[in-house]
Amino acid sequence: MTKTRFLAGLTILLTVAALAALPALDSPFVQSLALTCLMFAGLAVSWSMFSGPTRYLSLATSAFFGLGAYCTAWGLTHLPWPVVVAAGGGAALLFAFVIGLVVLRLRGAYFAVITYGLGELVKHTITHFEKTYSGTVGRVMTETPSSEVVYWSVLIITLLAVATYLGFGRSRYGQALRGIGMDEERAATLGVNPMRAKLLGFCLSAWFAGALGAAMAVRWTYIDPNTVFNPFIVFQTVLMSMVGGPQSLGGPLLGALVFSLLSEFLRLSLPYLYMILLGVLLIVSVLFLPDGLVGFDWRKLLRRKSASRP
Amino acid sequence: MTVYLFIDLVVAGLVTGGIYAVVALGLNLQYGLMRIMNIAHGEFLMLGAYLTYTLVRATGWSPLWFIPPMMIALFLLGLALHFLIFRRLAATSLDQEAMEARSLIVGFGLMFIAQNLAQLIWGGGMSGEPYLDEPIHFGEVTVAANRVLVLVVVAAVSSAMVLVLKRTLLGKAVRGMLQAPLGAMLVGIDTRRLHPACFGLGLALAGLAGGLLSMVYELTPAMGEPYTISALIVITLGGLGNIPGAIAGAILLGLAETFGMYYTSPSMKILISYGVLVLVLLLRPKGLFTK
Amino acid sequence: MNMSNKLRRLALRCGAIALIGTLALPIGIVQAQDAPVRVAYTQSRSGPFAPGAQTTQEPNYLLWAEQVNAAGGLNVQGKKRKIELIGVDDRSDIETMVRSYEKFMTADKVDIVLPPWGTGANFAVAPVANKHGYPMVAPTALSQKLVDMKLPYYFVTLQQPKPMMQALVDMLAANQVKTVAVSYMDDLFGLENIGALEPLLKEKGIRMLDKKSYPLGVKDLSTMLKGMKATNPDAFIGITYPPDNFLITGQAKEIGFAPKIFYTAVGTAFPIYRDRMGKASEGVMGMGSWNPKMSKAAKSYFDAHVALNKKEPDRWASAHAWAALEILQQTVEKVGLDRKAMRDHIAKTEFDTVLGKMKFNGTEEVGVPGMVGQWQNGEFEIVWPPARATAKPVIPKVWN
Repeated sequence: MTKTRFLAGLTILLTVAALAALPALDSPFVQSLALTCLMFAGLAVSWSMFSGPTRYLSLATSAFFGLGAYCTAWGLTHLPWPVVVAAGGGAALLFAFVIGLVVLRLRGAYFAVITYGLGELVKHTITHFEKTYSGTVGRVMTETPSSEVVYWSVLIITLLAVATYLGFGRSRYGQALRGIGMDEERAATLGVNPMRAKLLGFCLSAWFAGALGAAMAVRWTYIDPNTVFNPFIVFQTVLMSMVGGPQSLGGPLLGALVFSLLSEFLRLSLPYLYMILLGVLLIVSVLFLPDGLVGFDWRKLLRRKSASRP
Repeated sequence: MTVYLFIDLVVAGLVTGGIYAVVALGLNLQYGLMRIMNIAHGEFLMLGAYLTYTLVRATGWSPLWFIPPMMIALFLLGLALHFLIFRRLAATSLDQEAMEARSLIVGFGLMFIAQNLAQLIWGGGMSGEPYLDEPIHFGEVTVAANRVLVLVVVAAVSSAMVLVLKRTLLGKAVRGMLQAPLGAMLVGIDTRRLHPACFGLGLALAGLAGGLLSMVYELTPAMGEPYTISALIVITLGGLGNIPGAIAGAILLGLAETFGMYYTSPSMKILISYGVLVLVLLLRPKGLFTK
Repeated sequence: MNMSNKLRRLALRCGAIALIGTLALPIGIVQAQDAPVRVAYTQSRSGPFAPGAQTTQEPNYLLWAEQVNAAGGLNVQGKKRKIELIGVDDRSDIETMVRSYEKFMTADKVDIVLPPWGTGANFAVAPVANKHGYPMVAPTALSQKLVDMKLPYYFVTLQQPKPMMQALVDMLAANQVKTVAVSYMDDLFGLENIGALEPLLKEKGIRMLDKKSYPLGVKDLSTMLKGMKATNPDAFIGITYPPDNFLITGQAKEIGFAPKIFYTAVGTAFPIYRDRMGKASEGVMGMGSWNPKMSKAAKSYFDAHVALNKKEPDRWASAHAWAALEILQQTVEKVGLDRKAMRDHIAKTEFDTVLGKMKFNGTEEVGVPGMVGQWQNGEFEIVWPPARATAKPVIPKVWN
């Protein structure tokens, strides 16, 4: 094993160990910050798994997240914690499979709009169902697992997401997705079954979003459709990936870190300013940073600046 | 139900549909011509409503005085936005799909900015200055005067748009661009001037709808979003770039919503809206009225 | 790696841990004798809950802190300490509320928390407060579900759905109402009240000709009202929040919907309703508990509220909000700021408040009965039950 490989592996191991040991600090503030970071890292990485290579802009993340959360709300008292979380992911995966069969036939803005519409449709359907048959708007969760358990669950899911991103990206299907992103018609003629590849990527990406929703639901003690199906969840995920750089692993991770910190400090105190800032960043990044912060050629910018000096 | 209730519901549906038609007109031009999926379209309706309301509040004059200047202001805003953002977007997009996707994200950005700016400026409290809300009686049927006004204005504007598109040279140029963007350029139509103008016109029309609504309803910073969704449904129903189709689709949607709410509940409205959107996109993504 | 390198790394590591450790330690200032009593809350200053919160609840919080501090401070078992009020705008967003209250109770470790506005908000926040052991006395929550949760640290001073709907139905029956049309907002408040209302109407043999729900923040209910007008009911019952009660009243007038009895639940007792609706508000009934004529305590509360907030309190939950603060104040005076002691005291004591005697049975306050009020000549009179009424109901409502 080469020296760089060894150091890289060691760094990763130490980082993971440090993250796992974080609850020992006994600071609810630091832990909550880390939890938010990890959740968005997981969401951004799993989103980029599918939408990065294929360039299919999926806005269904909020739907997956919310479905996972409701799995927890309905199942927490009946099932053990790991089963609940996995089932949350499973529910999202199932939903992704069913809608994917139909929705993955559309492209471009249509795909984005319909995935958004489906998210809203799921939200309003569950709202209607809860109001009519359960006579309630939200659900209270009693007997929730400790915050450490939630933290470690999210950590594990995010690590899995990163591993899956790397593994899937190298696999046959991952390459197929990249081919689809470049030219879908040609990819089909090269012997790839586009539908199968897309479906796999879409469903895989959905599982993580659902599992994260299931894990995070207990954080709030009380959930209602507007909180867990909040479209802001998908907007922020897309934002992080696009600004960070949708074509790599580092992009969504960087984006998640930066925006989680921003959000934690600004969202409660200066919410409107924060949202406006997000909007501006979104527009600027689309116009000037097509490959995100990670993909931007900083060296070229510096070279140009120094070259313009006399 | 009685005849009078039926007429009542039809009128309500037409008023709603009329607003949708005006809002959808703008979005149709933007997407049909330039592949700009302006998801923030409804926010300009909201801005138009708040601007009108603020001026009415400040001066006490009728909102009808302020609607034309407000439309001009929004037209100029549209030109500015096109120049600053969408022109560069079009220039740097590799293909149409990329343009659509990127303009969608830009639209989200604009939406965040517009809604939260409105919250900062006008947020909190109840805003709204009903105008002409006295009921007019047509025999047994009662309609508020302002809704009649809205209906008349939207009908006039929609008819004017259809006529302009069919009869004038400018209209023919726009239709040419809608049908075949490349061919239009070859024939000498100045897309560089027409695109921003159409974008600006779209915003002005959204503002018109907002100004009219400010006479009828209470205003909130989030009021625009449902109209964006409805506009999307309408242009999907009518078929992209099909202006008369969109108008027909809008009326259909307005009536469907009104009668749907009567038979179920206002709570179902949003479920109905999204349900229609998803169904249309799945079954007839090219529209109900395309050949 | 040689010794000095190892030592350097060890030193660095220890230094880092020490640094992180001190940052993470709870920043606790030893409670000095005259340190302020920190009271934290979120209230809706924007969003759909704002009209309610800014009329009924937040002005009372401000008045209380002002009054108490002007008299030298909050009496904590004999020692007076100033109140430090920490209020945050929750923008009618449940998630913001939950996160804020969590922060108050875990990171900031305030002394007292005051509840947010509205049934849905309280449903979300009550379990959080209970989990962290902070007693909460809430004036703007109506929910049988909440009461049934039996949270030991949570108390509601407002009448619950059953007594309020019972009073309404009894009043309707006593006035020979045979048919009603009902609309309800589909938030928790609406769902709870329609759930309580329907069986009670059945009991009294009153037929419900139409029943419609609408979402919070709805813009237009004229179609719904037109449908109801066509059924020609004796009474219209709107289970509303502000601002939909304004919308419904305005639009009913627009379309000429004029049943004999017109009832809109919340928001009717607001003075701003009387001011904005003008003549149309005359004769409208709604949920209410008091008016300034009822007692000296009521009048002096009314005057103090007007003096500080430059607006009148509403004729329902405002007084319950004030009563909740009175209860807190009396409790802190007796048992100090120990949260368990506070909870126990609130649970078993009968209190003297601006609304009379109040006592809790579990979460629910049982001293004040359900009531119906009606605007008559610019004042909100209590018209039911006869034992507490300040005037007779005026039926039919005159629309002009």
